[in-house]
Amino acid sequence: MFTTGSKFLIGAAVLATISAIAYGVTQDGVMGTVGLGSAAVALWFLAGVNLFTRDNNYWADEIDSIEAAPAAVRAPANSVWPFAFAFGAAVLAVGLVTYQAVFVIGIVLLLASGAEWTAEAWAQRASADAEHNAEVRDRIANPLEFPLAAAIGVGVVVYAFSRVMLYLSKTNTVIAFAILGSIIIALAFFFAYRPRVPSKAAAVVIGVGALGLIAGGAAAGLSGERDIHPHETTSGLNEEGVDICTSPEEFEADEKASQSVGATAAVAATITLNSDGELTYDLNGPSATGSQGITLPRSNPNNIVFQNRSGEARRLSVSLGTIVEEGTEEEVPYLMCTALVDDGGAQNITVNVALPSITSPDGYSFFVPGVESAQLNLIVP
Amino acid sequence: MNRRVRIAAVLGLAALAAGCAEDAPQDMFQPAGPNAQSIYDLSVPVFIIAGVIGVIVMVFIAIIVVKFRDRGQAIPDQVHGKPTLEIILTIIPALILIGVAIPTVGTIMALNDTSDTECVINVTGQQWWWEIDYPTQEGCGAGIDEPIVTSGQMVIPIGTPVLVRGTSRDVIHSWWIPRLNGKRDMVPGRVHTNRIEADEPGIYAGQCTEFCGLSHANMRMEVIALTPEDFEAWKLNQIKPYESPEADTLAAAGEQTYISQCARCHQVNGLEDADGAPIVSRPDLSVYSGAAPNLTHLMTRNTFAGAAFNLLSPECRPRVWDAPPDTVGEEYLKGVTPDCLNSVELREWLRNAPAKKPMYADPTKLEATDGLVRGMPNLALSEDQIDELVAYLLERQ
Repeated sequence: MFTTGSKFLIGAAVLATISAIAYGVTQDGVMGTVGLGSAAVALWFLAGVNLFTRDNNYWADEIDSIEAAPAAVRAPANSVWPFAFAFGAAVLAVGLVTYQAVFVIGIVLLLASGAEWTAEAWAQRASADAEHNAEVRDRIANPLEFPLAAAIGVGVVVYAFSRVMLYLSKTNTVIAFAILGSIIIALAFFFAYRPRVPSKAAAVVIGVGALGLIAGGAAAGLSGERDIHPHETTSGLNEEGVDICTSPEEFEADEKASQSVGATAAVAATITLNSDGELTYDLNGPSATGSQGITLPRSNPNNIVFQNRSGEARRLSVSLGTIVEEGTEEEVPYLMCTALVDDGGAQNITVNVALPSITSPDGYSFFVPGVESAQLNLIVP
Repeated sequence: MNRRVRIAAVLGLAALAAGCAEDAPQDMFQPAGPNAQSIYDLSVPVFIIAGVIGVIVMVFIAIIVVKFRDRGQAIPDQVHGKPTLEIILTIIPALILIGVAIPTVGTIMALNDTSDTECVINVTGQQWWWEIDYPTQEGCGAGIDEPIVTSGQMVIPIGTPVLVRGTSRDVIHSWWIPRLNGKRDMVPGRVHTNRIEADEPGIYAGQCTEFCGLSHANMRMEVIALTPEDFEAWKLNQIKPYESPEADTLAAAGEQTYISQCARCHQVNGLEDADGAPIVSRPDLSVYSGAAPNLTHLMTRNTFAGAAFNLLSPECRPRVWDAPPDTVGEEYLKGVTPDCLNSVELREWLRNAPAKKPMYADPTKLEATDGLVRGMPNLALSEDQIDELVAYLLERQ
């Protein structure tokens, strides 16, 4: 007769063998087949050992005992995990032909219920005392179950909140969560000042709240997100054919531009528009100024910080010759620019030029729309 | 003294003697400029302090190991706590560390100061060579009016604090000329600075010190320090107009071969096509880093392929590399003349570059880089084409 442990190991070995064959036939590459094949060999070996030792209930040399031993000494208690395991397998199978998310849920269910089932089955063999066995099981499983359950709980709450926030408009989100926060604080005060209120009442309130949150999150998630207007960028407008880089006017892309300086440790040069309407530059070295203009390496992202000290909002543009426009195949000016920077503000622009400046008849240059005197040659050797 | 101790002593002395090597071009204990000198001035006393402490500790350990070794005696009384001793043994190391930290921090801050530099040179690392370009500026002696792009060898005027502004086009590299300053990582998307200065003319070697891939060990560089007069002569030569080879010569054929085979990636400034339009390389279309060495004045430098190989023949190389400070500039400025060309290695390189220097340059195995090569691929040039190219490149003075 097959023992309980042997049944498990033989089943796992059969599964691994079939998986190795299926993987080898259907998938490219040998590593998966090697891995599954190795698992199959190991499991068959363990199954054989386990079968020979009769789940280690008897010594191998006690021939009489081995031959006379029953397959199982005690029927296991009722358990929900086999059902959950089977349900997970069904969900996984459904997920294979429907949605990836369902498949993932199936895998999670399968793994979680399998782990619980294994822990429980193992604990039930600890002794003949069911109460002691339950303690053994908790001692092993609880350190994993509690943090995982907490993480899942927090994840559900955050996800549900985020769905509701993304569904409601900005204003309604503020109102809804102000009300919700007030309710939570009011309930907290109520329970704090009324310690005699039965704990079941608090549990019911929390349960109802959790269900409401999940239901709200699910409803909001199914309804989709509100329309979120993407913030325009200078490069985006440039690609759309808007003449932002030659215009001193304000566009939507220019909102809050003075707050967007970053990567100051990697600055290749700082270009400043002064109050006289001239562009000056600093190459991070004291003697780097020259009459010829600013030199930047070719085929390298160069971070340029534009500082506006002119007294009014201005942008820095750079003319990089011409470029062939996709679709029309026409040569159009190749321009890049910062957003409109308030007086006293600064913004970063990254210039990466593949062609040297000699390829442009007029060369490359930095300029400030609306300020004719603000010109600075850009030399790319 | 038994045999083992004698062998250990001989090996130890041999290791000690190895530190006395004279031909050690990358020896930070032979500083050749004020920045390296300040590192040396810090390292030596710290090394002595650390060495003395190390010897004291090891002597104590040896005494204790020998004196209290297990002879079967009873375990001595176990005591806990010696506050006075513990406080002393805490305070003494703390004081030593403070004593070392003060000059260390001071030296680091002094080396990071770039406010007194007088010349800016950009250095860009890529697998597996260094590009060196001189932006237009008023510094660097009499100033740079036209940008200069070279590779492998950085030429600087002596007695001039130079600000090296470094970055990378692909992976992290590290710039280190041990005799001129400490090392500095060159990181894509960032600009890191390193100040160097040489006291007297000479060739100061270095190599990439951050593992950067297959040919990391072959990514070398040199700093050539020249007198201000020699530096001016070098600079004027670098910006002189392009001269086409004489018609119907091997070099003229080489120009056409160059245009058809090399100009896709390598730039020669001033080279024009039949219509008079400048021929502009597009390494960004073929090379992962988007760059290839500028060959306009290849023969003014005396190494190639990431300074891994000599352009000077073994007979001529010592003439420049072993020259004393008062003649090294003159010898360097002669460049690579036909009689001194290391044509063997240059031909080997042109024949099959990846066979000479390991590179990811096989166009059939470049899925990860979308078909872009790292390093120079094998161009399958014929021997005639190689002859023509060598003749053409020899004129890139």
